[in-house]
Amino acid sequence: MNDEPFRPEDAPSSLYDDTGNPRFFADPGMDRFVAVVMNLAQEVWVQQERLLALEEEKSGQPVDRDAVAKEFIDRVFAPIRRA
Amino acid sequence: MTVELQHPMKAQSTPDEVARGRFVSGIRGLILNDLATDMKDAYDRRAAPAFRKEHGRDPETSREAHQALRGDPAFNIYSAMRVQAQKMVWASVADSVEREGDRLAHEAELAAAAPGSLTLDPALDVPKNVHAIDVHLMPGSYTRGADSLEAGAVYDRGLAVFSMGLMGANLDDIGLSMSQYIKQRFPDFAPQRILDTGCTVGHNTLPWKQVYPDAELIAIDAAPGPLAYASARAKMQGQDVQFRQMCADDLAFEDASFDVVWSSMFLHELSKKQRAKCLDEAFRVLRQGGLMLHMELPPNAQMGAFEGFYLDWDSYYNNEPYYKGYRDELPGDLCARAGFADGDFFEFVVPSVGIYGEQALIDAARGDRAEGVGQQTTGRLAEGVMWYGFGAWKK
Repeated sequence: MNDEPFRPEDAPSSLYDDTGNPRFFADPGMDRFVAVVMNLAQEVWVQQERLLALEEEKSGQPVDRDAVAKEFIDRVFAPIRRA
Repeated sequence: MTVELQHPMKAQSTPDEVARGRFVSGIRGLILNDLATDMKDAYDRRAAPAFRKEHGRDPETSREAHQALRGDPAFNIYSAMRVQAQKMVWASVADSVEREGDRLAHEAELAAAAPGSLTLDPALDVPKNVHAIDVHLMPGSYTRGADSLEAGAVYDRGLAVFSMGLMGANLDDIGLSMSQYIKQRFPDFAPQRILDTGCTVGHNTLPWKQVYPDAELIAIDAAPGPLAYASARAKMQGQDVQFRQMCADDLAFEDASFDVVWSSMFLHELSKKQRAKCLDEAFRVLRQGGLMLHMELPPNAQMGAFEGFYLDWDSYYNNEPYYKGYRDELPGDLCARAGFADGDFFEFVVPSVGIYGEQALIDAARGDRAEGVGQQTTGRLAEGVMWYGFGAWKK
């Protein structure tokens, strides 16, 4: 929706790809790949919540879903820590 | 955690939508706490020493810290994930907003008779920075859906995911912390007429009514949709507020007609020229003895190179084009140029009342007010957040 890109005055054009999106990795495919991995993890978590709902119903015990989500995220994304 | 909105326009989400929102809040927690710490470690361990080797000195500015970090693996992963998480915030609420358009309009209609008002100005030329860029990567920006409730619903629901619980149960922690701080620090100040500029959905407008219930409260924004939503939201919460579509740099109010002119996270959305005009207007409409108060990001001059860059990141990668330019300015200078006397300017840091509690806020109001500006937690939406503000009295 931009006629001309709104950018900070001192932003070099090298920060962005030719469609105006920020780029970070040497291989631009990596920027997209990171997004795919995050979307995929989100969809796995959606399935996980469905399972949790069934288990809660079966056991009658509520689960702290925020806490379980944090454990899930920490586990899945452990390899990127301390880059 | 995703906050559950406290009014009838809250989403009637499917279980999958709730799960998606929870994931986004969770991944933002990882990025803004853990990956931010990793990036600082990488800066100290790798990026700053490399810069020192090349330049014979440490990075001294936000811009140099940015330059040092570009290409670093920790910067790359933090940044790529933060951009995607931001897109996921808005995506996680888009379906429910689209599905519930008619219901939102119905809920607003049910509340229409409650005290308060909405005045739109179809002739207003909505500024380009409000509609011509997807501000903080929000698709369609503030004018999405024209004057329908769509943009407001996206913003309100998105903020509930975005804030990770750090902006309060009613997304009003900034307004609550700031207004209570003012009341504690200046107990004799009793404003009768308060103006909120750039209010979006009015989430940080309403606390002023709670703290000063007898005051007349008026809130303005340039974008009609969020304002219509703000009005409905306020009515549903029993708060009598007049919402008017107007630009903060061109106020349709008489001289000397307000006791407080307030904004939160607004000045950095404006160009340098608009910002100066906005403060001129605030000075004009304030009565003698009135207070201009802005909650904002802390200025670069009061932060180290890395901490300054950490906040400026949004300017380059989160569609906040004026963010860095604003942070490079000195709030004291801005106030002086608008006509406020040097001695009537003050700045302060308020501990989030939701996180630290009321006593910490009272201690801050009565104690050493300058302390904490340079702290990592100031202005940074992460664990232990503290809010920066500045103001000036018109005498």
